[in-house]
Amino acid sequence: MSTNSFKFAGGRNSGAKNWYMQRITGILLVVVLIGHYILMHATPESGHTYKAVMDRLHQPAWKVIDMAFVTLGLWHGLNGLWNVIRDYEMKPIMTTVLYTVLVLIALVFWFIGLNTILSF
Amino acid sequence: MKVTLNIRRFNPEKDEKPYRKDYEIDVPETFRILDCLDKVKWDIDGELAYRRSCSHGICGSDAMMINGKNMLACQVLVKDFKKKYITIDPIPSLPVIKDLIVNMDSFFKKYEVVKPYLISKEQPPVKERLQSQADRELIDEAVNCILCGACSASCPSLWSNENYLGPAAMLKAYRFIFDSRDDAADERLDIVDTTDGLWRCHTIFNCVEVCPKEINLTWHISQMKKKCAMREL
Repeated sequence: MSTNSFKFAGGRNSGAKNWYMQRITGILLVVVLIGHYILMHATPESGHTYKAVMDRLHQPAWKVIDMAFVTLGLWHGLNGLWNVIRDYEMKPIMTTVLYTVLVLIALVFWFIGLNTILSF
Repeated sequence: MKVTLNIRRFNPEKDEKPYRKDYEIDVPETFRILDCLDKVKWDIDGELAYRRSCSHGICGSDAMMINGKNMLACQVLVKDFKKKYITIDPIPSLPVIKDLIVNMDSFFKKYEVVKPYLISKEQPPVKERLQSQADRELIDEAVNCILCGACSASCPSLWSNENYLGPAAMLKAYRFIFDSRDDAADERLDIVDTTDGLWRCHTIFNCVEVCPKEINLTWHISQMKKKCAMREL
């Protein structure tokens, strides 16, 4: 890129907020992921049958953990993608379109995830 | 000592596109690359264009890409290079005006955005604005910047997004944000704490590698990231 077309957009949004959230969600995801791996991969005795999983999903505590997993994963992943997108110069309309697409993806998958967890 | 300079040439008035040309010269090994360019210009090809002023690493006008790395032509000697076939290009990411001369308008526009001057609410003292040694140490490195542009032109984040302020402007923001005599730290933090500011720095360290004044720009940018993050708490 060498057009000398620099324009400072400024903006009211602090990048620090997203930076914080990316790290907080990252740390929480590591905790939830370790729990997930211990439960699903390292301890077969915890029960991997359909019945055992159903029993777990009927407990409110497990529902909260799974909903947190879905929410944190979506936020962390899509915010990361948004950051990658912002690394590239593009027209404001394109930025708005891509942001809208990411928000829609987040909402759709969040709805599907929560609907699945809460249906048990 | 025989040296071949492979220089990227482009004269917009004559050439449709840039091309490369070899110049073989015989120079002492203590010659700087700038001396070699002078020799080419004075003895072989008077049309070769490049910027130079002080020739002693202070004015920052002769930043160019030598063997693929941005540096000051007046700060490197011929003997510093193992192979005596040396490629010379203008610093990347800025529009070329002619040969090794680039248009630095956008570089300086970014510099102006961060308000590169002292803003003090106090009345000017009779003599000078005093500062403790500890306070001065915070900006010891940052004040050494000579605005050559080697750092910003080496930054991949800036290559992909021209609106990113870049390491040079960011360093200047640091220089005043952390200056105990300045009263506009928050104003400047508001400027750098934006999408095209601090958060486009992904600690790639290219700027640190090329800075001819050996300034650790990434560290300075990180200090501002910390300050912005602390503001949010």
